[in-house]
Amino acid sequence: MEKKLKIVGFLCNWCSYAGADLAGVSRFQYPADIRVIRVPCSGRVNPLFILKCFQEGADGVLVSGCHPGDCHYQEGNYYTRRRMMMLKDLFCFFGIDKRRFHISWVSASEGKKWADVVTAVVEDVGAALRGSEKQ
Amino acid sequence: MASTENRSEKNTRRESIEQFLYRLLKEGKVDAVLVPKRHPGGNIVSPVLISEPSQIKGTDPLAPVQTVNAASIVKELVKEPVDKKIAAVLRPCEVRATIELIKLKQLSDESLLIIGYDCPGVYNVKEYMHGIENREDKEAFTEEHIHDFLSGDGDLVRESCRFCTYFTADSADVDIAWIGVEPPGIIVAARSEKGRRMTGGMNTGDKDAPTVRKETIGKIEARREKRQKSGIDNLLDLIQPCIRCYNCREVCPLCYCKECLLEPEKMGYTSERYLSRAERKKQIRMPVDTLLYHLTRINHMGYSCVSCGICEQACPMDIPLGTILHVFSKKIQSLFDYVPGRSRDDELPLTTFREEELSEVEDV
Repeated sequence: MEKKLKIVGFLCNWCSYAGADLAGVSRFQYPADIRVIRVPCSGRVNPLFILKCFQEGADGVLVSGCHPGDCHYQEGNYYTRRRMMMLKDLFCFFGIDKRRFHISWVSASEGKKWADVVTAVVEDVGAALRGSEKQ
Repeated sequence: MASTENRSEKNTRRESIEQFLYRLLKEGKVDAVLVPKRHPGGNIVSPVLISEPSQIKGTDPLAPVQTVNAASIVKELVKEPVDKKIAAVLRPCEVRATIELIKLKQLSDESLLIIGYDCPGVYNVKEYMHGIENREDKEAFTEEHIHDFLSGDGDLVRESCRFCTYFTADSADVDIAWIGVEPPGIIVAARSEKGRRMTGGMNTGDKDAPTVRKETIGKIEARREKRQKSGIDNLLDLIQPCIRCYNCREVCPLCYCKECLLEPEKMGYTSERYLSRAERKKQIRMPVDTLLYHLTRINHMGYSCVSCGICEQACPMDIPLGTILHVFSKKIQSLFDYVPGRSRDDELPLTTFREEELSEVEDV
């Protein structure tokens, strides 16, 4: 069996966390490689959190919030979007494969999407790590 | 080298600027002037706050040395509103940093008149001191440097200046232009309403007029753009010598947080934690977290960084911070089409958003 990955997920309380909850209630299957941290809003996620995760040995990081336009606090995720985009753009400079860091928008009613997102992220992070081991 | 033989008989650009500043203070248009001035000892030139017109003599903004980014001084000077009017004579990178600080609400600019000027670039203090040490005629050194600037930048000039394409002060209130103007001529042009109000009657025309000026600027820009690096692939190697002395943070004009999350006591761990980390990771380099320190700084300063290179000058370990910051911040700034200090009306990229943008961020 393949080694389990350690992926940190920052989920906003209002959409993605509820979406993940719905995935559980609906019994959608997805890999158990993700550790969820609930945050009040994806706007709470400081880029430093993500750098810290990687520094402490996380295999991947996923930040998930409400769809743009649906933020519980009106505009929190618009700021997240800019901040995360900026951080992502910098990864190429310090040797972290871009595929290890993902952002997604999952609403409270998208249990299925949550399961799909996690599956895709796990696959991507796995591929990135396998790629770097080969080198 | 420049033809400076007959210099003593003619006026210099420095003296023309001096005369303008003298009038500004003498005629009471401002109450004080912040401007680089040569120390009585003769070598170093650093910012001085002058309130007595006679003390304007000896001021030398064109001297190719920058001890601090003067935006840091401006930030300290007008941290609260004052009744007096202060003119700050700043290099373009300092003008831009000051405008960023205004946007970041770090200084009160009602009483501040920003005077910018064409900057010929600087040497780091060490190289400057070495170059000027045994020179009798300090002004000839500046004149030679200006000649080099117009024809190709010397190798010893600060790296950030060698690739700087913002060497004219377009966003200042008043700007003193001399590139493309026959020495000792200068053109004083108001660039804002405040500039027009405060220097009424002292302007000497539109600086964009001479075509020679435009051509010269274009040539210098093209030459310097070629020197810009687009990427860094060995960041870890470059910052390896870092001793986390915090110099780069201290001198940065844009590092403004009152409470910094990079404080030593906040970055440190308990003894036990160090050992458990070492155990888990097999080894940890000490002092810890130098990479995290620099990445955090880049992340914080990146969108506002004006690439003045003062951090590189302050680094005791000769880490090429100027280049590193430039490459990173250019990437960030281009993402939001933002040029720090270009205009007071551009919104800071991380405090605003567009509803329809960056849809590519969601990639799963």
